[in-house]
Amino acid sequence: MIALKLRRIDPFRIEIEKAPPMRTTGLIYANHAIERTLEHDNVLQQVANVATLPGIIGPSLAMPDIHWGYGFPIGGVAAFSKKDGIISPGGVGYDINCGVCCLLTGLRLDEVKPSLDKLLSSLFNNVPSGVGSSNKDLAVGNKEFSSVLENGARWAVKKGYAPHDDLDAHEDGGCIEGADPDAVSKKAIERGQPQLGTLGSGNHFLELDVVERVLENKTADHFGIFEGQVVIQVHTGSRGLGHQVCDDYVHEMLAAASRHRISLPDRQLACAPVTSKEGMEYFTAMASAANFAFANRELIVFLIRETFEHVFGGSFERLGMRMLYDCCHNIAKMERVMWEGSEVAVCIHRKGATRALPPGDKRLPQRFRKCGQPVLVPGDMGRASFIMVGAQGASETFYSACHGAGRLLSRHEAKKRSKGRQILEELRRKDIHAMAASRATLAEEIPEAYKDVSDVVDTMTGAGIAKAVARVKPFAMVKG
Amino acid sequence: MPYTLIDHTADIGMRVNAHSIEGLFEEAAHALADILGGRSDEGDAEIIIETQGIDQVDLLVRWLQEILYLIEVKGLRLKASAILRLTDTQARGVVRGAYTGKPLTSEIKAVTYHNLDIAHIDNVFVTTIILDM
Repeated sequence: MIALKLRRIDPFRIEIEKAPPMRTTGLIYANHAIERTLEHDNVLQQVANVATLPGIIGPSLAMPDIHWGYGFPIGGVAAFSKKDGIISPGGVGYDINCGVCCLLTGLRLDEVKPSLDKLLSSLFNNVPSGVGSSNKDLAVGNKEFSSVLENGARWAVKKGYAPHDDLDAHEDGGCIEGADPDAVSKKAIERGQPQLGTLGSGNHFLELDVVERVLENKTADHFGIFEGQVVIQVHTGSRGLGHQVCDDYVHEMLAAASRHRISLPDRQLACAPVTSKEGMEYFTAMASAANFAFANRELIVFLIRETFEHVFGGSFERLGMRMLYDCCHNIAKMERVMWEGSEVAVCIHRKGATRALPPGDKRLPQRFRKCGQPVLVPGDMGRASFIMVGAQGASETFYSACHGAGRLLSRHEAKKRSKGRQILEELRRKDIHAMAASRATLAEEIPEAYKDVSDVVDTMTGAGIAKAVARVKPFAMVKG
Repeated sequence: MPYTLIDHTADIGMRVNAHSIEGLFEEAAHALADILGGRSDEGDAEIIIETQGIDQVDLLVRWLQEILYLIEVKGLRLKASAILRLTDTQARGVVRGAYTGKPLTSEIKAVTYHNLDIAHIDNVFVTTIILDM
């Protein structure tokens, strides 16, 4: 255990001072409300542990939705020099490219409400969800599956599941370059192939929201957001394929870390030099799993668009169903960052964090170049979510921001607090309609299991990392 | 109790104990299957699992990962397990059960190495394993 000494820098930042064997400081984005949530678990030690890894550039960062993970904390961001730094499967997590996409509609809540029962039950029936869910209708053969792993959302567009226009609304155009399906084990393919086009279980969801309040008019106009509008969020990832890829490579990296004489404070931080054979093999397998996740979300969006067409009539284009953005939460990316006056090539790990590019960033497609990248911040199922936009201050986080509200209660504690309660009825009283494949999931996902997303957004805004554009409120959802 | 569940903010932990290291592997397998809803009282199917690792902690994770794969992907519902041979770097065991296809109650993404250790205290082997849910 590292002896931790904390120092509040300003109302939105807390530093963990450097202490042996840390190579750098820790930096946690937290207002006073968030700070109180950090007392619960071992998360600060995890931030410090990441700071011990070789080649780290800048501080070991933690976003305000941080909570106890395994190895890296959830909400952790760390950049490692490509020259002498590491890549760690545990720094990405098991659900590689777990992420969220937001689909806009041209419909207002009062237009959707009369058909809500039919819409929700159709979505529940058409989008496979729950433990071990598979999708036989969208099954692909082995050769086609390799193309999914190589091309991600581009595959879905090529096959006619999505319009070409969707690609500009994806982080990295919906495809991480460098994927090599041959680096993915047979076991991983066996686990993942039947699950393409499925939501899964746990905290994965499909949610219908109404834009309750526009908080920044100009950017909202640019994004195509207006008050009363119905928008849809989908949260899922690479399913069993990603889980197995991570499994396979954590094991490899334990031996590799020993060979490369890397000292690990926690085995789950197993890693290898970025440019080593083991490091590059993991990256190509991880990119394949990330591409599976991009395609998976795009197929779910296809099923949602089909369902809306069936319920409301007309084409999805006529219904104004346009992808706002799709971003990764769990990923390692090769990026170039400015550090101490020089441009440095890094392998940046975001585990439970999202990229946040500001207005003017040349990496953005024309659609977002002027206004900045949408940053999607899903909250819990009873309160609110936010649509934010990257701000100039994000340079200090290597253009990273929060990914959600952040868990507060353990699943066990959430279930304990749900005992004897009718969660569906409680939600219905708030005019929120939910369907779930499992009652246990609903119990684990009660609103109080999460931090108040407003505190997370307040911290990001106050620190100048991202700006709130709109607050949206859930009114219907499918939980896994 | 051979195992108890412990709180973890995002995931779930299981603290397992047994009077032998082999017993620890076996009880951990049963605990994992319990959490998944993947147990069975019957079945004649027998599968041999062989794993290699850098030490016994690594072997424990690999053993459990194989069992997770058999339950989740192959549809095995676990009746019993036994370790046949265990060294510092190799494990050979057998799992028995039935391919019933009975639906699972939980999805476990992975068995993690987070802060994993095997302690030997007062003739009891103890470990705490965090499962990614």
